[in-house]
Amino acid sequence: MSFKSAVITFPGSNCDRDALCYLKDLTKGEVHNIWHEETSLPKVDLVILPGGFSFGDYLRSGAMASKSKIIDEVVKHANDNRYLLGICNGFQILTEIGLLEGALIRNKKLKFLGKNCFIKKKFKNNFNSSIKDNQILQIPIAHNEGNFYCDIETLNLLKNNEQIAFEYCKGEFSNTEENMNGSIEAIAGITNKKKNVLGMMPHPERAYSDFHQSQDGRLIIESLIS
Amino acid sequence: MNEELILQHGLTLDEFQVIRKYLNRDLSIEELGIFSAMWNEHCCYKTSKKWLKKLPTDNEIVIQGPGENAGVIDLKDNDGIAFKIESHNHPSYIEPFNGSATGVGGILRDIFTMGARPIATLDSIRFGLIETEKTKYLLNGVVHGIGHYGNCIGIPNIGGECEFESTYDFNNLVNAMAVGHVQKDKIFYSKPKSIGGLIVYIGSKTGKDGIHGASMASDVFSEEDEDEKRPSVQVGDPFMEKLLMEGCLELMSSGLIESMQDMGAAGITSSSVEMASKGNVGVHINLDKVPLRQPLSAYEILLSESQERMLAVIDKKNNHKVREILQKWQIDYEVIGEITDTKRVVFESNNKKVVDLPVEIIVDDAPEYDREFYIPRKRKNKDFDFSKIKLEDMIINLLTNLNYLDKSWVFDQYDSTVMGDTIREPGQSSGIVKIHGTQKVIGACTDCNPLYIRINPYEGMKYTVAESYRNLIACNINPLAITNNLNFASPLDPNIMGELVLSIHGLKTAAVKFNTPIVSGNVSLYNQTNEIPIKPTPVIGMVGSNMDLNKINTNKFCEIGNKILILGKQLAKNCSPYLLQDQKIAFNIFEFNDLEVLDLDFEKKIANCVLELSDLKCIMSCNDISRGGIFSALLKMQYKDMGFRVKVPDPIDLFCEYSAGYVIEIRSKDFEEVTSFLTKKGAEYLEIGEIIKEGIEINSKKFDYFDIMNKYRNDFEKIIS
Repeated sequence: MSFKSAVITFPGSNCDRDALCYLKDLTKGEVHNIWHEETSLPKVDLVILPGGFSFGDYLRSGAMASKSKIIDEVVKHANDNRYLLGICNGFQILTEIGLLEGALIRNKKLKFLGKNCFIKKKFKNNFNSSIKDNQILQIPIAHNEGNFYCDIETLNLLKNNEQIAFEYCKGEFSNTEENMNGSIEAIAGITNKKKNVLGMMPHPERAYSDFHQSQDGRLIIESLIS
Repeated sequence: MNEELILQHGLTLDEFQVIRKYLNRDLSIEELGIFSAMWNEHCCYKTSKKWLKKLPTDNEIVIQGPGENAGVIDLKDNDGIAFKIESHNHPSYIEPFNGSATGVGGILRDIFTMGARPIATLDSIRFGLIETEKTKYLLNGVVHGIGHYGNCIGIPNIGGECEFESTYDFNNLVNAMAVGHVQKDKIFYSKPKSIGGLIVYIGSKTGKDGIHGASMASDVFSEEDEDEKRPSVQVGDPFMEKLLMEGCLELMSSGLIESMQDMGAAGITSSSVEMASKGNVGVHINLDKVPLRQPLSAYEILLSESQERMLAVIDKKNNHKVREILQKWQIDYEVIGEITDTKRVVFESNNKKVVDLPVEIIVDDAPEYDREFYIPRKRKNKDFDFSKIKLEDMIINLLTNLNYLDKSWVFDQYDSTVMGDTIREPGQSSGIVKIHGTQKVIGACTDCNPLYIRINPYEGMKYTVAESYRNLIACNINPLAITNNLNFASPLDPNIMGELVLSIHGLKTAAVKFNTPIVSGNVSLYNQTNEIPIKPTPVIGMVGSNMDLNKINTNKFCEIGNKILILGKQLAKNCSPYLLQDQKIAFNIFEFNDLEVLDLDFEKKIANCVLELSDLKCIMSCNDISRGGIFSALLKMQYKDMGFRVKVPDPIDLFCEYSAGYVIEIRSKDFEEVTSFLTKKGAEYLEIGEIIKEGIEINSKKFDYFDIMNKYRNDFEKIIS
């Protein structure tokens, strides 16, 4: 059975093409591109909400996109127990929809951060099952609002339910900084309770091809397919 | 018409008389506005035209040279590369965030107007000394603005330069460059195809922002002007530009557009006049149809520089389809006029012709000046005293100078990996991106050596072009073509004019030798505030390619134990300008010795060696040697805590500048092959040492690796905060 997937494009999405290539190259299956005004979603295994500046980040990152027509279908897809991945702006949209807990606020230094970061998996789920414990992944980040925040009760819930998928860590060499954006407990990605919805700030779709600086981003799709 | 009004519009009385005589009638205020916009330096190059004509602009790969929105070169198959650099200096001083943001927005529009999808941006930014009040504010604002616009629209920023020097204290420079990929059979030009074609307005509504922006850009500043001029700075909306870009590219790929022109400097005036001039036709536009943000007079509509707007010509039968596509992207669209056969530019408002001018007088009769210029006097050579200078001090001098420190603080605010095709990010000798869906890569860099050019404009410019050339060569990228941004002070000063003329001459000499024609460019004059002229800053953006992404070199060290070789020829200590300036040996511009003549044949010879060795996979990493000499090049090559152990006859040699200078890393097992290759080619080399773990060692003197690297990496942020 081939793996089917879809990428939603909102006005201002700018990683939709990257996500499409990522899925095409790694899943070898059918990949759909869905415009935000569509009212139906094909039956697929995985939906990606891509990175970018949907609706120009006006009002609040992800807030306007969370009210798009397609979102009802995206929620249904998630409630059907199928996979939903929000990358960067997609993560922000997922928190705005309420599918994921917490919020992404301005980076601690109040500046955009576009560089490599290092992450490792915290709790195992279907998105990171192919990643070894303590394996350090190098994946780029590019965001203004990637500083994950939630209150202490929520944080405890996230921990107790093992919903923290990725956390930032130090790389192997001296010039690497841990937790650059100031996220609470260095959280880089979380899932919902059922662990079929993942939101993460790093961009795995920019770290998979042979010419990319790292190919660690493959591991997420490999985890889902295996 | 009263004299004051004419002068306020930036026209000289003589220029006004030419117009008056030609028309044999008085001008409307709108018409005066048009001449003000079209006859300033920014739009008509009246000072530089005579000299720019001398530049080589064509060769076998040039598809489009200067004169269109961007130049285009041929990259084999159906691939073309469109690129251009443009300045936004004055706006970025008055309002750094919006000034620099709209600089990026403007240059991106120039690229997608040609039917090309932007795939990379670069920039060249210069500020005054960090101690100067305002510099921190300007730096923060400019970097934030560039980042905000590019990040949001989603085009990777892949490189550039950022320097600090006192003559930019109150006149910072912001030059933005963009590179796009276009299918050769789908290039769009500004020339309309048919009489009767509809002129359509696409994009943001017109507002008051940027009125007279183009003439402001051609003005000398005093500090008091700042507040008064702020309303002339355009405000950018990258989200709107993203929609506009996608909408326009969809229209173009659907074949619904005949021609397109970006409403950049001088807005609707400049774009419609250019359209008429290129097509040798007329335009008739009804200003009442222009979508407005607020009530505006005809005069204001004509001169507004509101951002994210395009003017296009379409066939009447496509009107409905065009509207449909643009509605999907939520973009304003209005038919505002048509192409006529009158060869006149006519604007009407409230059923009255407010402008009715022959295209000829606006474009062909635009003034062209042959301004007086002086050639700098030959410098007398003298010796400097290097006896007191110590190695430790030289290192400290570099590590306390912003110009040498790692600029990650700047680059990290830019998204350099969006679009997923980035191969080399900012901070390396050149940025490299892949042409989507192919194995081809494009490398690009921006450079200028203002100090060299002030010392000797002709030779200095050769060095500048050579530096760009080396930046590409070091990555095994074949240099192909150039875009230039000539930033100078007032050309009314014959000394400045001399720098302009001679540096264009140097550009010509080097471009001919390297077979890298100039395919697009921009001129920014009157860069002086409070009568302090900037150093001559003709910035080069050079673009090159490699057809195979697996062949490109890294600039970063690869493996402990590998050998370090130096290629090229060291400039004499007495003639290494940055060494003398930055090691505090020479202070005054008059003290410097003349530049050594740069042997361009030698540059080519060494470059070819690097390219051949790279293809043979003998080069593990390579970096060019520029400001700060070998030492600075080695610092830039640090990676994964690998350092270096070197031995040289005199430590000062490590800090001297070079011609055709490269640091190359090779494996011991290739040493024999590489050195016999170089000997055979008659290329001298110097084996200076090897790569070691976590160490820096010079002539047996050990330095604390982490101390130096921490300073190099982190002190930029400390100094500017």
